[in-house]
Amino acid sequence: MIENSLLTAYQEQPNIWDEMFHQNSIRPEYRNFVSAIENLPNTELARKDELARKLFMSQGVTFTVYSSGEGIEKIFPFDIIPRIIQHAEWLHIEAGIKQRLKALNLFLKDIYHEQFILKDGLIPAALIYSCPQFLREMMNVNVPHDIYTHIAGVDLIRNSDGEFYVLEDNLRTPSGVSYMLENRSITSRLYPDLLPKNQVQPVRKYPELLFRNLMDLADRHISAPTVVLLSPGIYNSAYYEHATLARLMGIELVQGSDLVVNNHYVFMKTTKGLKQVDVIYRRVDDEFLDPLVFRPDSALGVPGMYAAYRKGNVAIVNAMGNGVADDKAVYCYVPEMIRYYLNEEPILKTVPTYQMSDPDLRKMAFERMDKMVIKKTNESGGYGMLIGSSATEQQMQEFREAITQDPRSFIAQPIISLSSTPCYLNGVLQPRRVDLRPYALYGPRGIDIVPGGLTRVALQEGSLVVNSSQGGGSKDTWVLGPDTH
Amino acid sequence: MLSRVADTIYWLARYMDRTQAMLQVIRTHYQASQDSPSEFSWRSLLYSYGGSLTLEEVGAMERDTPRVLERIILDKDNPTSAYNSVLQARENARAVQDHITQEVWHCLNSFYHAIREGEIPEQIRFGDPLSGIDALMRHGLVFIGAVQNTMPRDESYGYLNLGKLLERALQTTDTLRVQWLNVAAQPLPEREVPQLRYLVHSMSGQELYLKTYRGNFNPDSVLQFVLHNAYFTHSLHSCLNRLSWYFERLKSDSLPESHQKLEFLIGRLANQVKYTDASARNPQQLNEFLLDTRKELLNIAVALGKNYLGKS
Repeated sequence: MIENSLLTAYQEQPNIWDEMFHQNSIRPEYRNFVSAIENLPNTELARKDELARKLFMSQGVTFTVYSSGEGIEKIFPFDIIPRIIQHAEWLHIEAGIKQRLKALNLFLKDIYHEQFILKDGLIPAALIYSCPQFLREMMNVNVPHDIYTHIAGVDLIRNSDGEFYVLEDNLRTPSGVSYMLENRSITSRLYPDLLPKNQVQPVRKYPELLFRNLMDLADRHISAPTVVLLSPGIYNSAYYEHATLARLMGIELVQGSDLVVNNHYVFMKTTKGLKQVDVIYRRVDDEFLDPLVFRPDSALGVPGMYAAYRKGNVAIVNAMGNGVADDKAVYCYVPEMIRYYLNEEPILKTVPTYQMSDPDLRKMAFERMDKMVIKKTNESGGYGMLIGSSATEQQMQEFREAITQDPRSFIAQPIISLSSTPCYLNGVLQPRRVDLRPYALYGPRGIDIVPGGLTRVALQEGSLVVNSSQGGGSKDTWVLGPDTH
Repeated sequence: MLSRVADTIYWLARYMDRTQAMLQVIRTHYQASQDSPSEFSWRSLLYSYGGSLTLEEVGAMERDTPRVLERIILDKDNPTSAYNSVLQARENARAVQDHITQEVWHCLNSFYHAIREGEIPEQIRFGDPLSGIDALMRHGLVFIGAVQNTMPRDESYGYLNLGKLLERALQTTDTLRVQWLNVAAQPLPEREVPQLRYLVHSMSGQELYLKTYRGNFNPDSVLQFVLHNAYFTHSLHSCLNRLSWYFERLKSDSLPESHQKLEFLIGRLANQVKYTDASARNPQQLNEFLLDTRKELLNIAVALGKNYLGKS
């Protein structure tokens, strides 16, 4: 059935779910795509690969690494073979994420107000109070429409059983959505006509939905409230994304120094004097937002912003203090939260997680460390992580010592085998591990998730780490329409 | 518009006009160097674009054309090189991507990549420098076209033009002052050529000049042309006129008192230039006039910074 040499040379790996192949035949969702490319000469794929690289470079879709005074342009590696998801599977993912977000949002409201979930004994109070992202400053602060998690990027992986598992809920300032948009626009140029033929669901509505949600949060009863995107500035590695989103939404891209607080209202400095700001989509972390309340040495934020927020004079997106809900140690309580707040069974599975503050579990994890992933609870980007199967004895020993000193800051999980998918690397198709990060938007009118998301790829052979800071890349993610297989 | 954004756009335009002006000056100078290689020196350009060079370094370099081109066009360590001008313009564009069009950003991005590495630098170093410089200037022209054709006529367009025209007026004033020293140094009967030609050439004015004065290069006409010709886009008169026109259009987006201050400064300078009695016969007085004009232009820039661009 498969004749193309590129495809026949591809080796499926044992005990790993392959997104495209199943026992040497092609999964139904990929059939249209494969039939479109299998007759192409091999040079054509190489040409497409080169075209993609050029398009990223010429459109300035780059991040800049500053070393020795000179900025070096790098592109976020992009693989030209899309990752394809069936419609029914997507509906499952969508329902699962919506359910999870509702519960997490209720949890945040509860934890910063009455704390029923602690009083009812579902989550140990010590766990919450020992979380560095739990902001006492947010206690009894009423946020607009009771929404905390306006933008979430939930990381999903597919285990060898073919099921999707939630790996992380990123509820603070998840990034990468601009790559979802760019990947799609590049793919449409690489494979003309293939998107409509496959009924691939569009993702372009994301900026529109986000803008609508941001406008809905303004509370000044005027027709054109001022919405801004607060960025740390051009030296931030995600600056491209900040600029892109601001441009696509037509809102002002500001830095901390552009804003000033007067009498508990936030203003921006313009050529025509001060102008009041109603909604701030911030891409600056909590601790840098307001030097009067959080880190006093931060120049990225605005003095007095917290007080203006607390008074309800400005809306901040996402809310402050969300880190307590996506803390890796709180993660294992999310299924409980879903049952507690929604009285529903969780739709998406979660990875078994062992708290290292529990002496028995700690002992177990120490003994079986080679089969575990150890993570620091408040780190992200693939930092502070140990994958037992590929760690040296010395690395494991270092982690054991660190855990013993500060057990609350670590969790252990069994190694989950991420699914793999073919990537076009060095002229051949090779299996690489992937995850999936759909972006959910929670606004006063409900939760919207654009079909798709960012598929991140671990480009190193055999690696399980997909983070861009650790040599990861990305792929376009196609969600097929209801009439396709 | 945010003051920071206005400032960034304004400087983006200044850097781009500066790049274009210096490339044209370098181009003319290079051609001149090929005309009379024996007595030729790059000294004046090394002072303007060479960065912080000591007298000895200038002396060692001034007759070594490849080294000079490397230093003033491509050198990454020379803050006043064309490379760094383009780099600054692009960094500024990157910071205000949401206020310029994609086309403008793409132009600047490809200009930066073109001057950084690849064919053009090779051409300047080892091939025909003129072709290399021309290729760079073409990038600059594409930028101007992209601005003209795609930018909405809003505040950002206004600040782009203010930056461009202010920089151009400064460049014209400086080029005239520096090059006039060469002109004035020549004994009287020989003043016609070739320095006057180079002067007009280095402001891209040769064609219009030839048409206007039928090829008669004399100091009075050249001075008249560079200071007062209404059709010459680099003349002081033209720069200041358009500066005041674009500034007037910002009125509705300004605080009244800020606008008044700037309007006064620009109007006063335009009239000083219009009614000056500086003439080719009195180089001393001309020099003072040009220094004075320069000071006034900088005053305008400072006032703009204070009143519009959030500088204190």
